[in-house]
Amino acid sequence: MVAAAVMSVTACTTTRQVADTSFTPPQGDYRLIVMQPDISVGLLTAGGVVEQREDWTDQATANVLQSLRAMHAARGGNAMIAATREESGWDVAEVTDLVRLHEAVGASITLHKYLGLALPTKKNRFDWTLGEQAVEFGRATRFDYALFLHAQDSFSSAGRVALQVAGFLSCAVGVCVMATGGQQSAFASLVDLKTGQVVWFNTLASSVGDIRTAEGADKLVKALLGDMKPGAPVGKPAG
Amino acid sequence: MAGFLRRRDVLTQGLCGCGLVVAGWPASARVNPMSLAPLVHPGYVPADADERGLWQQCEEFEYELASSNLLLQDPTVQSYVHAITNRLLGERDFGIRTYVVRDAEFNASMFPNGMMLVHTGLLARMRNEAQLAAVLGHECGHYLRRHSLERHRDLKRKSAAAAIVGLAAAGATGATGSNWFDLANSINTMLVLSVYTFSRGQESEADAYGLKLLAECGYMPGAAAAVWAQIIAERKASAVARKKRYRDHSASEYSTHPPSQERMEDLAASADDIASRVHDSREFEDRRAEWLALAAPIRFSLLEEQIKLNDPGASLYLLESLAVDGWTGTLRFFEGEAYRLRGGVDDVARATAAYLAAVAFTGAPPEAWRAHGYAQIQSGHADDGRRALAHYLELKPDAVDAAMVRFTLVQ
Repeated sequence: MVAAAVMSVTACTTTRQVADTSFTPPQGDYRLIVMQPDISVGLLTAGGVVEQREDWTDQATANVLQSLRAMHAARGGNAMIAATREESGWDVAEVTDLVRLHEAVGASITLHKYLGLALPTKKNRFDWTLGEQAVEFGRATRFDYALFLHAQDSFSSAGRVALQVAGFLSCAVGVCVMATGGQQSAFASLVDLKTGQVVWFNTLASSVGDIRTAEGADKLVKALLGDMKPGAPVGKPAG
Repeated sequence: MAGFLRRRDVLTQGLCGCGLVVAGWPASARVNPMSLAPLVHPGYVPADADERGLWQQCEEFEYELASSNLLLQDPTVQSYVHAITNRLLGERDFGIRTYVVRDAEFNASMFPNGMMLVHTGLLARMRNEAQLAAVLGHECGHYLRRHSLERHRDLKRKSAAAAIVGLAAAGATGATGSNWFDLANSINTMLVLSVYTFSRGQESEADAYGLKLLAECGYMPGAAAAVWAQIIAERKASAVARKKRYRDHSASEYSTHPPSQERMEDLAASADDIASRVHDSREFEDRRAEWLALAAPIRFSLLEEQIKLNDPGASLYLLESLAVDGWTGTLRFFEGEAYRLRGGVDDVARATAAYLAAVAFTGAPPEAWRAHGYAQIQSGHADDGRRALAHYLELKPDAVDAAMVRFTLVQ
């Protein structure tokens, strides 16, 4: 039995926003701080181990920061892009703590709103908070909103690509062993610093794109942050 | 048919020509400590892309650790551990950072970029400075011999090989029609096992390197084996108390560390070798006094977190071995706590006796007086109990439970 191997190259980037029904994107004169983005870019090796690459990570971080600055400059308004924890204007240890708390909350949102493990108490609500710590941060730094960004990208090594090619060929002889290629994934969340609530959340998944380049970083930032929609009836993705 | 015979031959003869599968070190060969030299130098900065990537990942973690509430906020202890590490390295600045973290487990770890974690559970079990130095030396060995990097590269190579084997088996099965997956699985299982063998080999090397640093610094080489003897005895006591058979979880083909017994024996044998070569009258030291001086102020918190593990066999073993240096009010108090929380048939009586013994020591912790007070009240000696509770309030007027104790006194 020989199955015809179909080599399909799907170049898709999907995003999915979630927000509470009462959410409207911030308008007018508001102060926004973009927290130090958490970026990591690595090499996907033949065996599946992703090996972080310092040069790619540094490059991608610089590009994403540049794209963020450009986006907010174009919008006008009062946005500060914090390239490091020190720049956020608060105690570094407290900021680190807040960023770590956000990682945990972001993972919880991903798990319960995106990956299907819906919580009965949050079925028709989008209700996550960073709590008092975020409110304190807002009071101390006088920002109205904080935006957190996390992005990961990986690129197949030569060995991995060879494995993928061989995988296609194995399909031709009837036993398919597919090795995945590099993946890009990101999430961003907007926190209202007056209440500490996470008011808006977006995720991105892509099999193409390269945030090591300026255009790639631009694409990511635009896809993730460029189109903030008001809240929809909860349960339905807003775009 | 020919395909089957070939497969069986290959399996019985072993996989000749497949060097990757048996790469690693023969785990049973004892490493000679004096044959080891550092593979990095002071001021070392990685050049290879994969190593730089690993260091960058560690940086983030170190940032978080430095501001974590798990970090022990005790500058004396932190600088002591750092000072011993420096001493072991001959005061050469390899850039190793030490962090003591609050965790009751006996553990220490070294990250690829020279960041070392020492758990307070380790400090709780050390009997002298030489024993602590043995563990710190082991961890330094991991860094100085670049084990993390080599382990990462080993894993990368072997996982790539496994992927290729899996793919080849799929291709061959599809192309020839016979089942190549069994062979592929046995090859890949051997690859997986060899990853663990490699790890165990590294641990043995780190043990040996630690011994080398220990001896060169003038510490008793026997201290390293003593650490393991103590740990094994503690684990046996823990198992007995839980009515289980003692099982060494590292005595498995899937263990990242060699079996504890083997480590102890190898360390003891190597220590004997080293000691027999020392001809001058220089005596190896254990610096017990210095260690006891450091441990005394933190002994209470170390035992407090140990008791909370709810492992009375281990806790009582630990207390009794610490008591070899002399019982103290703190040790008797925690002995009482261990019995009280174990809650066995005669444990109330044992706990009461222990608290009574605790308060006989001058400088017994205030908590001992409280425990003694409650125990006396419970055993029918209300007056003695109230006096003890009142004394607790005198010693610690702003205790969090002062109001509750006062309430008890007016009953």
